[in-house]
Amino acid sequence: MPARRSIGELLFDSANVLIMLVVSLATLYPLLYVLFASLSDPHEVVSNRGLMLYPKGFNLDAYAMVFRNPNILTAFGNTLFYVVFGTLLNIALTAMGAYALSRRKLMLKNAIMFMIVFTMFFEGGMVPLYLLMQKLQLLDTRLALIVPSAISAFNLIIMRTAFQGVPDSLEEAARIDGAGDWTILFRVVLPLSMPVVAVMLLFYGVSHWNSWFYASIFLQSRELYPLQIILREILIANDTNAMSVGVGTSDQMAVGETIKYATIIVATVPILFLYPFLQKYFVKGVMIGAIKE
Amino acid sequence: MKKARWRKGAAVLLAAVMVVGLAAGCSGGNGAVGENRDSDGNNSDSVSAGESLYPDSITYWVELDGDSAISMISFSENAAYKKLEEMTGTKVEFKHPTGVGNQIQEQFNLMVASRNLPDVIQTNWLTVPRGPQNAIDEGTIIRLNDLIDEYAPNFKKFLEAHPEVETMIKTDNGDIYAFPFLRLDDRIKVYYGPVVRQDWLDKLGLEQPTTIAEWENVLAAFRDRDPNGNGEKDEIPFLLEISAVRNELLNSLIGAWGILAKFYQKDGKVYYGEIQPEFEQFVRTMKRWYDEGLIDPDFAAVDGKLKDAKTSGNQLGLLYGYSSGTIGKFTDLMKDTVPGFKMAALPHPTLEKGETPIAGMISPTYPGEHSAAITTAAKEPEKIVRWLDLAYSEEGHMLFNFGIEGESYTIVDGKPKYTDLITNNPDKLTFKQAQARYMRSHYGGPFVQDVEAFLQQMKYPEQLESLEIWSQAKNELQLPLMTLTAEESSALASIMNDVNTYSEEMIVKFIMGVEPIEQFPEYVENLKRFGIEEAIAIQQAALNRYMNR
Amino acid sequence: MASYWHRLRRDLTANRTVYLMLLPVVVYYLIFHYGPMYGLQIAFKDFRPAEGFLGSPWVGFKHFESFFGSVYFERILVNTLMLSLYSLIFFFPAGIIFALLLNELRSRKLQRAVQTISYMPHFISLVVIVGMLFDFLARDGLVNIVLGWLGIEPIPFMRSPGWFRTIYIASEIWQNVGWSSIVYLAAISNVNPTLYDAARIDGAGRLKQMLHVTIPGILPTITIMLILFIGKFMSVGFEKIILMYNPVTYETADVIQTFVYRKGILEANFSYSAAVGLFNAVINFTLLVTANAVAKRLGETKLW
Repeated sequence: MPARRSIGELLFDSANVLIMLVVSLATLYPLLYVLFASLSDPHEVVSNRGLMLYPKGFNLDAYAMVFRNPNILTAFGNTLFYVVFGTLLNIALTAMGAYALSRRKLMLKNAIMFMIVFTMFFEGGMVPLYLLMQKLQLLDTRLALIVPSAISAFNLIIMRTAFQGVPDSLEEAARIDGAGDWTILFRVVLPLSMPVVAVMLLFYGVSHWNSWFYASIFLQSRELYPLQIILREILIANDTNAMSVGVGTSDQMAVGETIKYATIIVATVPILFLYPFLQKYFVKGVMIGAIKE
Repeated sequence: MKKARWRKGAAVLLAAVMVVGLAAGCSGGNGAVGENRDSDGNNSDSVSAGESLYPDSITYWVELDGDSAISMISFSENAAYKKLEEMTGTKVEFKHPTGVGNQIQEQFNLMVASRNLPDVIQTNWLTVPRGPQNAIDEGTIIRLNDLIDEYAPNFKKFLEAHPEVETMIKTDNGDIYAFPFLRLDDRIKVYYGPVVRQDWLDKLGLEQPTTIAEWENVLAAFRDRDPNGNGEKDEIPFLLEISAVRNELLNSLIGAWGILAKFYQKDGKVYYGEIQPEFEQFVRTMKRWYDEGLIDPDFAAVDGKLKDAKTSGNQLGLLYGYSSGTIGKFTDLMKDTVPGFKMAALPHPTLEKGETPIAGMISPTYPGEHSAAITTAAKEPEKIVRWLDLAYSEEGHMLFNFGIEGESYTIVDGKPKYTDLITNNPDKLTFKQAQARYMRSHYGGPFVQDVEAFLQQMKYPEQLESLEIWSQAKNELQLPLMTLTAEESSALASIMNDVNTYSEEMIVKFIMGVEPIEQFPEYVENLKRFGIEEAIAIQQAALNRYMNR
Repeated sequence: MASYWHRLRRDLTANRTVYLMLLPVVVYYLIFHYGPMYGLQIAFKDFRPAEGFLGSPWVGFKHFESFFGSVYFERILVNTLMLSLYSLIFFFPAGIIFALLLNELRSRKLQRAVQTISYMPHFISLVVIVGMLFDFLARDGLVNIVLGWLGIEPIPFMRSPGWFRTIYIASEIWQNVGWSSIVYLAAISNVNPTLYDAARIDGAGRLKQMLHVTIPGILPTITIMLILFIGKFMSVGFEKIILMYNPVTYETADVIQTFVYRKGILEANFSYSAAVGLFNAVINFTLLVTANAVAKRLGETKLW
């Protein structure tokens, strides 16, 4: 039976809710501004630089300009490819590594851990990596955006910490039942660490979605370019266009402003849909409780 | 047990696949770019009958400018290049780096450092790290002199007719390193200078100011007499841009004091503006203007966007700008919203009345940009030279400047005139964006820019006048575009890095009063401590070599 | 020594599967991280592309001397450290506190809504964030208008070196507090619920529960995150600073990375940037090892 809340608790809860509301508002407003601006009549946006509470003069010109770019659909597809296959590889390798390094009695554990952490700091640099990719003939291929970034040491460490939290008793029970390490990984450890796996999906997935630097260095065929590169180019093209237009219509210049906002929406909204799917894994105690019983 | 062994096998397989697959090279089917091959150099077999004069295919690295990017994925969609392919049979694979400015620089540096070279690289070879001579010596690009002699009849003829150009495009050793972009006609070299709200001058009954003192009066009038008529003293008389003052191409405002902000020359001797006494005068004047509210208080942090906003917000009275990018653009934008809106060019200011302005903006004949070099990875350089040479022929000239006859231009009274496709594009592309689809003269490339291509961009009479007005300047102070040795280049870059950081900071502080103007001598001393005198010596040596070419 | 190898061999056989799992991971690191490390040598050389890594001449510590001897060295070092310190004191705990507060919300719906909203700014590109900063903090921007209502003179935020650090950290928090709380929320949801039941039975109120169950429960995660954070101490985010700074604010805004970007990368001076990168890495690594050792000493979780 839930105990009654004390006055202190009530105050705290109200304050908490208030704080959260303020935080949400402060966070949301600039984003709404971006959304509204992207849907507004460009001239309004340029001349009224103050508060915006709704789109001024509904107008889809900015989006039209963005999608008019011949590359955009291919780029979208490319990014989906990189996100899906890249993340799959990421999770597979990271989970294997995290499991192995979380075993208590592994002799080489610390040495390998050290070796991995070391790479977080010391890098050969862009040129050697580039030459390596050249030798492996990975330049200008899709693999170039998946393989070199296959494992993030940072994520590996997080996952390892989570795996370390799985009670030994469960593992021992499984071993008694004759399970080998693979079974333990898939049937015991992973299910109990779903929140963390969800986090990894999110981290790796978003990283692939937002990536553009490796693409700019390793890729030269435009058919392989991911979305962010194309979006950046649209942004820049319209920026410089807006700044140095010759004989042009004033329409052109104004749209340059709203295009900025439209590209942001296109660049971020799709990935925002990933979170709701993963959210249920974050809910407290669901998985643990189920497994325990 | 069986299951466990299968799992184990999978792990081994995974690891093995990774190693083997990578070693064997799982290319995606697209060949990797440019294996590094040294140029053959044997042109002993002359072209036999049936063999093409031009290469079958070349890889061409060049920036994809904004106006082109808006409607094309690559230059292969550009009408001029398509026509060129028809004419020569050469298939061009364009490699466009992504991003702008510094990002492109990074990609270029990486490409060169890892020897992953295409056949042709189009960029500004004067500003690549360590300079063009180094690029040849290091084995990145090839020396073109002999090849031009034998395989580039059009360009060779051009050089013979313009020997001064030949001097400009060579290094001190006499090596020609790229096919240049050139602006011959004086009228296309000047496109930046002071711009004023002429309607405000008219409204307040003021004459166009020509001296610094007259400028002060006009700015004070803008400040006090509410020319934008909204009843508020919200006018910003003048937008000072320190970066433009210190830009050796733009030379905003500083010319009035008889110096440039950075390196300049008088009678063959190199000076550095910021340590000259005239520069202190300039800063003191700016400080006075700032204290009196004649300069935009945000001047230190203004970027392009903010500048646009202040102009379109009907607040800015005087600024430095471009004939198209400022006068053209804002007249377009504001003529309907602000009745009577008129922007006009002002002559470059002077200190004495009646003096000819000493220095303004002027593009060198050979500005360095958009020039195409052939790399050491190119297999048939002589054929590529022939191909690049076409741009300097009559046909090529028209192609790259005006596009396709009948489509993007027609001949009217013996002169080429852009069609509606360009001036009033049905897909709502701007003038430059439409140009970008058919030619390259809106931005640049390895050819000679035609003055007509430029003039037809001018929609308003004020723009044409601006070219006249801004050309009035002696422009003897500017240094020619010299080439430095690799060591000089590195040393200079190193010194100037510190100098630039320090100067930008200090000038702003002096003007705003954050740093007392009495400390100016110490600022000069510090510049010397950074090695500015060594930098002057380096430039002097380079200038001497240039004069002796 | 013999006994070590014997033990190792036994370990390898006993944990065959586990080592097998580790194999692709190790191979990956060897190829893609250790492989390119031969390039580090150019920090001690004058890299010439024509001669490649091996052929370029040795110059010993020349680049390091040039870096340490630079007139600006002290300033950029201080700026880098100060920004990292501020970040550690204000930004790092913010994620934890936010996670804890979120966890305490009674309404699931509100919690989910706030969570989703809070991580959105993370996706906005820096260019836009900084653009918004300039907009809101302008002389006549939103913030100054509000200050005006309180009778305060307009403050030129983006042009005051004194405000730079505050604005930098505040915008970091705005953009990333939601995102950084994700890890902690995941950790919180991993805490065994029976522990809460036990605490409640013992009469603990919500505050005590938080202090004695939740926080200890996520302490391993916090520790690891802290160690990793310290390991990045010298690498203050330079893309954002480049967008934010201007000559007036150089004195607090110019950090090691921005300085090296101008001097090293843009000038294709790979050796110089390799040298500074090495310096940064060494410092970061030392800090990390120290933090790890301290954590070990305190009996807490450690990296290795």
